Amino acid sequence: MQFFKLRVSVLLTVLLMAPAATIAGEYNMVMSIGDPLPAFENIPTTDGGKLSSADLKESVVIMVSLANHCPWVQGMDAGLVKLVEQFKGQDVRIVGFAVNHREDDRLPAMKEHATRSGYNFTYIYNESQDLGRKLGATRTPEYFVFNADRKLVYMGLLTNSPARKTRSGEISFINGDPVDFYVADAITATLAGKVVDPAETRAHGCTLEYE
Amino acid sequence: MKRIPHVIIALCLLISSSILAENTDDHSTAHTSSTEMQPINFTEWDGILENQLGNITVVDFWAGWCLPCIERFPHMVKMHHKYKDRGVRFLSLNLDEQGDKESIDWANDFLERVKADFPNYHMNENMTEAFERLDLLGLPTVRIYTTDGTEAYRLSGDNPYQQFTETDVENAVLDLLTK
Repeated sequence: MQFFKLRVSVLLTVLLMAPAATIAGEYNMVMSIGDPLPAFENIPTTDGGKLSSADLKESVVIMVSLANHCPWVQGMDAGLVKLVEQFKGQDVRIVGFAVNHREDDRLPAMKEHATRSGYNFTYIYNESQDLGRKLGATRTPEYFVFNADRKLVYMGLLTNSPARKTRSGEISFINGDPVDFYVADAITATLAGKVVDPAETRAHGCTLEYE
Repeated sequence: MKRIPHVIIALCLLISSSILAENTDDHSTAHTSSTEMQPINFTEWDGILENQLGNITVVDFWAGWCLPCIERFPHMVKMHHKYKDRGVRFLSLNLDEQGDKESIDWANDFLERVKADFPNYHMNENMTEAFERLDLLGLPTVRIYTTDGTEAYRLSGDNPYQQFTETDVENAVLDLLTK
């Protein structure tokens, strides 16, 4: 039976409301695979510096949306730090970005969180939220992998088993130990000049809050 | 055929009802209020939606780990009281992790605290599959169905250029009420 069908008009409205791209990804309403990294300038970092997209010279660049307060970010912090370690010494750059305006997601809290969680990558705070919007980022964490031409080759989950920090402080993987390391595989494939497969997965986490 | 004495039937009913009560207690030892979530699977959820035919139905998809969900939930309760006598039904579907007693207990406590006295459900399925099957990207998401079961509104944070507010939810309900 076809109860609760989605109206075509709703779909059309949704499509018309995504102004940054004519065709979006399967799970992203703005960016599609092959789209360029949006340019950004002088975004403050947790270590007191500034970062622009022009500063990124590596062959592979990964942008990941983060939010300190989010239990899914906290649950996957260790996986992110491990990812950076895994590609240390290779031509790869990982940049975390935050856009939420909650006090516990802003720059002062980000600095504390980065120290506490052992962040080993550049972590930037985009007050205007433009970078997040242009990437179509809506959840934390959500990964975007760009190749040397700064074209998007992968977006979505870190692994097949998102992890959350529970109220009692445990780390809970929703699908057991991860077996598919999507971002690591995307980086490896891109470094080797191969096609990334899968190129897109359904990111899972807290919703970013755009003003 | 011999007739079974009434006293034996009564005894059997007593025993089976106490077993049922024990099983129910296994599900939720701490919560017995009218706001308590009923654990359901995908098939049961489809049936629940089909049973809403004839009403405008507002479904709030939420989880205890989702701060905006928690912040916005009281508005759902207010709207429920405002529109329940005008043919609008409110339901909530919780997507905390399957089998995560700590989160489910917290969610039930929360629903009791905000007096969410409409049907509340917990999707007792794998979370990854639930988001896929329900076609959800993020939470909160609110879906509003017409009296014939057509999904008329899908309000979510899935598009950074088109975020929704509590006013948008109310306006959508008013829109359907005037059609």
